[in-house]
Amino acid sequence: MPVDLSPDATEAEAYAAADAWVREHLPADVLKAALGAEWPEVAAFVADPERSTPWFAALGDAGLSSPTWPCEHGGLGLSAASAGAVTEAVTQYRVGRTMADFVGLALAGPTIIAHGTAAQKERFLGPLARGEHRWCQLFSEPGAGSDLAGLSTRAEQQADGTWVVNGQKVWSSFAHLSDFGLLMARTDPSLPKHRGITYFLVDMTTPGVEARPLRQMTGHAEFNEVFLTEVELPADAVLGELNGGWAVAITTLMQERNGLTGRPAVGDGKADELLRRAHGNGSLEEPVLRDRLLRMLVEERALQMTTLRAYAEAGRGAAGAEGSVRKLVNAQLEEEAGALAAEVDPLTALSWPAGGAVPAPVEEFLAMKTTSIAGGTSEIQRNIIAERLLGLPKDPDPEKDKPFSERPRTS
Amino acid sequence: MTGETGATASEPAGADDLVEFAWTDEHADLRQAVRRLMATRAPLDRARAVADSGERHDADLWRTMAEQLGLQGLAVPEEHGGFGGTLVDVALVAEEMGTVLHGGPFLPTAVLAPAVLVPLAEHDGEAAALLGRIAAGATTVAVAVAEGRHAWAPGLVTTRATGAPGSERLTGRKDLVLDGADADEVLVLATTDSGPAWFRLDTTDGPRRERCATLDLTRPAATLHLDDVPARRLGGPDTDGAAVADRAALVASVVLAAEQVGGAAEVVRRTAEYVTTRRQFGRPVGSFQGVKHRLADAAVRAEMARSAAYWAAFQRPGTDDFELGALVARSHCSEAFLQTAKDGIQLHGGIGFTWEHDMHLFLRRARLDATLLGDAAAARERLLAHALPDLAPSATEVA
Ligand SMILES: Cc1cc2nc3c(=O)[nH]c(=O)nc-3n(C[C@H](O)[C@H](O)[C@H](O)COP(=O)(O)OP(=O)(O)OC[C@H]3O[C@@H](n4cnc5c(N)ncnc54)[C@H](O)[C@@H]3O)c2cc1C
Repeated sequence: MPVDLSPDATEAEAYAAADAWVREHLPADVLKAALGAEWPEVAAFVADPERSTPWFAALGDAGLSSPTWPCEHGGLGLSAASAGAVTEAVTQYRVGRTMADFVGLALAGPTIIAHGTAAQKERFLGPLARGEHRWCQLFSEPGAGSDLAGLSTRAEQQADGTWVVNGQKVWSSFAHLSDFGLLMARTDPSLPKHRGITYFLVDMTTPGVEARPLRQMTGHAEFNEVFLTEVELPADAVLGELNGGWAVAITTLMQERNGLTGRPAVGDGKADELLRRAHGNGSLEEPVLRDRLLRMLVEERALQMTTLRAYAEAGRGAAGAEGSVRKLVNAQLEEEAGALAAEVDPLTALSWPAGGAVPAPVEEFLAMKTTSIAGGTSEIQRNIIAERLLGLPKDPDPEKDKPFSERPRTS
Repeated sequence: MTGETGATASEPAGADDLVEFAWTDEHADLRQAVRRLMATRAPLDRARAVADSGERHDADLWRTMAEQLGLQGLAVPEEHGGFGGTLVDVALVAEEMGTVLHGGPFLPTAVLAPAVLVPLAEHDGEAAALLGRIAAGATTVAVAVAEGRHAWAPGLVTTRATGAPGSERLTGRKDLVLDGADADEVLVLATTDSGPAWFRLDTTDGPRRERCATLDLTRPAATLHLDDVPARRLGGPDTDGAAVADRAALVASVVLAAEQVGGAAEVVRRTAEYVTTRRQFGRPVGSFQGVKHRLADAAVRAEMARSAAYWAAFQRPGTDDFELGALVARSHCSEAFLQTAKDGIQLHGGIGFTWEHDMHLFLRRARLDATLLGDAAAARERLLAHALPDLAPSATEVA
């Protein structure tokens, strides 16, 4: 039962409705823990599938996990700003869907809404909103990262209209845990590289799909290499036009940048947390470190204000190149936060009890480069800003107009 | 979600918060009107011509601004004869003026002076009357706070007021007084036995107003030598002059931040245009990544600056969030404009280093703006109290 909220609800109305819903429906012990800022307890609830699965289903039925989506597909039809208010209301209790669902909620859903058939929307959006399906993004390949259009995973159509896919993907986050994947594959190598690509929705249990977790520099294994061997896909696995996959991917990539930019609200953030730690252990009195923390505070607040502005100015419009601005800033902030975490607490970051939990500064330090690479590197974001927002000339690409099959083989 | 510092589950946002970034048609009209006026009457070469000729300002334009658009009355409440515009309105005007580096008396008279006088006018008919004359475009006002190395440190002011109430005399020196040599009126912050207070200088009798050379060629400034000169105290007997000065600086910071946004965005625009036409090595220099990426970073800073300035402008003055917004804007926008102005010169090459080219005018303005109301580092230090509200005040109390 969706919360009772008009699609034209203001931010304040949306916030109030979501806040009231969470207070009414969140299990009492968890609500109490959240109100008392006992975050480890809240985190344990979210991490326990027995308890969080029904919670996420209820949250999804209420429309609160996907507030911008159309009402008929598990959403509330809200503007970006009011949807941001809903998300903010849920995240203040830290009981929203986790980062492992980022691809599904932030990328797959909006891409299917923009390009899917009625049947695809019917099939995928409801379960996505309720947290029944986890999705992954099968874009990057060993030979195609920043130059994504250079991908060579091949999909060939059979006489009966079905497809056979062969190739390899890499860095696919949470692919080993996913039910479905967003796949880009080459369907016509005789066309220039951007034009012969088709976008598929892949059931990850299809025979021939094999995800092998890769250990990251953090020590965790969240991303994977994914081997696709003689994978048979039905005709209706195609999302959007045949050989029109690049346009579909642009929707996904814009959503990704728009989503990797922090919260659309001005308030407590990473800098505040670091300032608290520095105050706690006395390092705040060190003047250079102090000013670096305060600079980070300024930049983080300014990013929050920018995200808020982007949401307010977007109305119901699609995510645009402007998202690259925020994605770039967020990447720099995360890097600075990770670096500062280790400086605020240098010894904790360097050694800890064997077998014990890895301290937060260590996790933060090691994860600091994530956003500056994932979702398009910072160099690529600067190119996009320069070319799309400032109108500067495009970088030369000698392969751009040649048939893909005729390009010199590189790696 | 709007306007909360500290996302605690127990305090949902108030429903009566101003809605940030809720742009209206009136905002767009005001921006357009100012842009048109500046384009026809005060383009950047006009600012340069005024500066070169040693003229103080364009008096005809000043009249037009008052008579046709009422710009001098925008920051003056209706009860004092102004137009009672919002801070967003004033910021939009400042941004458009910043784009063409418009100087002259506008900032001191129509922004700084009202910010100081509005709270004083609550207890003081003289301050109220002055506001009315500002709104009508009938007078110009300079605001004298800076002394020595402190641009805006109300607690450290040493200029001294002596004498009985109603016939005080001021002694001291005030620096970097914008329009200080020519303004019809001068407001001075000076110390008294009961702390800092505001005074209206008797400009006919005694103060030596020394016109200075200025880094920002578009904004004349003076040093005031006050040697036991007559002045009248403004405000009520209990008015805390330092608090008034502090609040005025926060309000003016938001307006100045919008000016910085206008300047930074214009540098980005002009530079993007230049690097797409200037060719080297057989191609536009704007096709080199070293150039593209530097300019992309500048564009990012300018966008962030815009968000910070207007987020603050949408807050209600006097609230915690307003102070937070003003301080974030002061820190971010000051540094953003300075860095962008430097980058603009770099990406123009040799031509950017010439007197004739306009780029250095932006750098000069950026340097002034970054100091005028207190510097970025001081603003950041004050932000500590917003992130760590429980911290002992001693660590956050910075003048
Ligand atoms: C934690 C993490 C999670 C990820 N999750 C996913 C996922 O779920 N699904 C998925 O498909 N991918 C994922 N990726 C992959 C990510 O999108 C790519 O790593 C990224 O786009 C860069 O591609 P690359 O690794 O091939 O680097 P390359 O493209 O080889 O880049 C190497 C360096 O060259 C620079 N460079 C490349 N081209 C240019 C250019 N034109 N101008 C200037 N500099 C350039 C890059 O910026 C970089 O510094 C993930 C990556 C990380 C780190």
